[in-house]
Amino acid sequence: MYSKWTEYKEDSRAENAEDAEGKNTKLLNSTGRVFVEFKYVGKSIQRPDAVKKVTGKAYFLDDVKLPGMLYAAILRPEYAHAKIISIDTSEAEKCEGVVKVVTGKGCEFKYGDNIRDLTPFAVDKVRYIGEPVAAVIAENTHLAREAVKKIKVEYEPLPVLVDALDSLKDDAILIHEKSGEYWHLPGLGPKAGTNIANHYELKKGDIKKGFDDAEVFVEGEFVYPWGSSAAIEPHGSIVWFHEDKTIECWSSSICPFIIREELGRVYDLPLSDVRVHIPELGGCFGYKSDITVEQTIAWIASFVPGHPVKWVATRKEDLLSTLLGHGMRTRMKIGAKKDGTFTAMETTIYQSTGAYSDTGVHVSIGAGHNCGGAYEFPNAHLQSYLVYTNTPPVGAYRGYGHQESQFATERLIDILARKLNMSSFDLREKNYMGDGSVTALGEKLITSHGDVKKCADLVREAIFSKEKPAEDDKYYYGRGFSGVMKTPKGAPFSSKSCYLKFNADGSVAINMGGAEVGQGLRTVVQQVAAEVLMIPTEKIKVYTEIDTQFSPWEWQTIGSMFTTQGGRAVVRACKKAIKMMKKTAAQVLRVNIDNLKYDGEHVYLRNDPSLKLTVESLARGYMYDDGMTVGDVVHTTSDARLPRYSVPDANGQGTMGVSHTFGAQGCEIKIEKATGKIIIDHFASAFDVGRVINAQQIRGQVAGGVMMAIGASLCEELVFDSEGRCHNAMFRKYRFPTIKDAPEKQTIEFVETPGEIGPFGARGIGEHPVIGVAPSILNAVYDAVGIDFFRIPLTAEILKAEMDKK
Amino acid sequence: MKINVKVNGKKYERDVRENMTLLRFIREEIGLTGTKEGCGVGECGACTVILNGKTVNSCIVLAVEADGAVIETIEGEAKNGKMSKLQNSFHEHHAVQCGFCTPGMVLSAKTLLKENPKPSEHEIKEALEGNFCRCTGYQQIIEAIQDASGQMKK
Repeated sequence: MYSKWTEYKEDSRAENAEDAEGKNTKLLNSTGRVFVEFKYVGKSIQRPDAVKKVTGKAYFLDDVKLPGMLYAAILRPEYAHAKIISIDTSEAEKCEGVVKVVTGKGCEFKYGDNIRDLTPFAVDKVRYIGEPVAAVIAENTHLAREAVKKIKVEYEPLPVLVDALDSLKDDAILIHEKSGEYWHLPGLGPKAGTNIANHYELKKGDIKKGFDDAEVFVEGEFVYPWGSSAAIEPHGSIVWFHEDKTIECWSSSICPFIIREELGRVYDLPLSDVRVHIPELGGCFGYKSDITVEQTIAWIASFVPGHPVKWVATRKEDLLSTLLGHGMRTRMKIGAKKDGTFTAMETTIYQSTGAYSDTGVHVSIGAGHNCGGAYEFPNAHLQSYLVYTNTPPVGAYRGYGHQESQFATERLIDILARKLNMSSFDLREKNYMGDGSVTALGEKLITSHGDVKKCADLVREAIFSKEKPAEDDKYYYGRGFSGVMKTPKGAPFSSKSCYLKFNADGSVAINMGGAEVGQGLRTVVQQVAAEVLMIPTEKIKVYTEIDTQFSPWEWQTIGSMFTTQGGRAVVRACKKAIKMMKKTAAQVLRVNIDNLKYDGEHVYLRNDPSLKLTVESLARGYMYDDGMTVGDVVHTTSDARLPRYSVPDANGQGTMGVSHTFGAQGCEIKIEKATGKIIIDHFASAFDVGRVINAQQIRGQVAGGVMMAIGASLCEELVFDSEGRCHNAMFRKYRFPTIKDAPEKQTIEFVETPGEIGPFGARGIGEHPVIGVAPSILNAVYDAVGIDFFRIPLTAEILKAEMDKK
Repeated sequence: MKINVKVNGKKYERDVRENMTLLRFIREEIGLTGTKEGCGVGECGACTVILNGKTVNSCIVLAVEADGAVIETIEGEAKNGKMSKLQNSFHEHHAVQCGFCTPGMVLSAKTLLKENPKPSEHEIKEALEGNFCRCTGYQQIIEAIQDASGQMKK
């Protein structure tokens, strides 16, 4: 659906014309609009990193080898909540190859970027089953793991809380006795004397009036249980305390600058003395964001200064000792007029955030304020409780609170449509947000925020334009639909930056702090820069690793913000470079800078293009025939942040969403009568991404996101028993979709309503494809068998049991 | 224990612990880090190598079991600095995102195409079921294999 022609509004002509100055632009006077044909944007250029990846030469954390390297293994507790009475390390110390055994004894600091409640090691008590209790440093990983088994720990078990609702009871034991004392960002934080790590509340309009005005009501409780991002590359980290008192760290993380700031703070070093490297990342999907394992490995490494210490998680550790996703229970009530107009929404979310809340707090806030999805509710009362439990900490997971809470919204809208005896498409259409809408946060939308209706029409055409097959001997057939809306959940310093360097031959090097996790940001950088600089993508080399010593600052690569924000930074850096070349050329050609134009190869005089200088001759400044030089080397820097991000006001509102992406998803399924197995015949997605930058790549983003959420909908759940133990922390039991689970057909389409922030109008898309999947499938299940489900994963066994009851 | 193996055409003789996996041997003894560890227990396929013509999860094969074997790893797939047809196809079709499953995926596809030069979509899915990918949703991987086997629907 993306087109090579695009249309800019009159008022943005000047800026966009400058973006694509010269030969790619045609001004059509008859309409008064600027049309731009893109030369690089929208094309499927190949990923520069794919060659190294496909030949096995790309190096990831576990491939890093350093001189004098030692290896760590970590002991995890037998109990999910217990006092540590004693730790006996004597036997472990005697084992072959052991250099040092480390415990949390004497570790007094806490860390965290939002709520400082994390600790690198359990000190007096353990709070979840994956927590570090002790560690062995040895000559190799195998010996370290063998020795860890010899550590003896005496525990005094404490009552275990695994569900937020239990943690909220008056007589519940406190998981953090001192939670009220923890440092936290303004507006966030635990409620002392309770297990509440954060309470977020939003009020829009008058909720009482909204429900008084309503004539029809629907309500329900929906559960999106714990899951894991489960990238194929597990977490790992290397930390090296050097003899010169500096620290160097390598990590499979997307937040090198947060790691640097936190290590510097804790070990009392200038940030310039902490250097963090990020090699290639084997997937992220959320759980490699925020600081997770690095402080633990640093604590271990601090006992053997002079030696780098490497630790790579086993799969079980990756699932239970890093970050989980979701753990969310959503209670929602919607009120509507008989004609389908929504009047009010009341939502309370309980998130079982695990033993530490630093990484989950923004997830629960995002789930709260964006739970209304693609619809406008004039009155809303939305709350989310982030609650400590004796389970692994919850953190970012692709979708960041949106799929969990919009699962409730999209299921309830289908139920409401039935109650109103109305088409669910008509009901949705009546309430879609668009130009002039006001979000729950109080943000006013304009046309350029995107067009959910167009997306819905594309999905409707793909999935619902034909009659669905009639039930037969083997299968029931059903079709379902869901709208989607997501914004980033920003933070005060959520910026991205860019360093750009023109080389002497006119080629360009670009260095940024954004982490490539597989999403393909390097092609985005290349294509955006190529379009603005009007040079071929092959002449633009993009950074391959992040090093805080050399990379420009970036908060962290989350929130599907790189294309939008990082791309904006690239545009700004490119424009500065063009300006620098013009400045030198103006001096050399002795003309006013305004009279110069740039076309990718030359800077030339507007009214006499024969008077020109090559880009090569300007890249390092200009040299006259006699060897004298003038002008500056063409190096530029830039940054871009979300415009006017604010923290919540007294009503929980503010400009926190900023960049919206709307979309729609739907599916055709069949259910095997004999087994209850759900087979997805066709899944369709359409998103208004503003501008497609790389056609094949964006298709891969959507296809992969849909697949991931099919896993969450049908099979993925990390199950914790009442003692806080997990019995399925392995791929064999934590099943995520294999190639055989791929839908028979995926339709992926894009609408391009240019946005105001991103390069050429592009908006974020990385997370959005996961959001409407569970409600689409469960709405299709109702369509097929007439049973409403409120919890995922909907396994064949569960569905078959309910079908049998009917 | 002493073992002899031929990896990507080159002979190696090494003394190894009896409990050392083939994966550790390839990564640490020979230094070929293109073979990845995703789970360590034979469930995800990231450590796939070709052992005497058949794909195996090298994390659950002992190095001593491979004594005398001919092994192919991802590093042997490109010849004289040129990527194979299959590698080029993965590259062109955006079948690579994070790249961590890619070496195993390419080797499983290679073995499939050797045994069955024109596999159907169903046969591709059967052959690659043991190679997990969390990024792509698999569609572009299927397309890459179809194209490499001359069956791309244009």
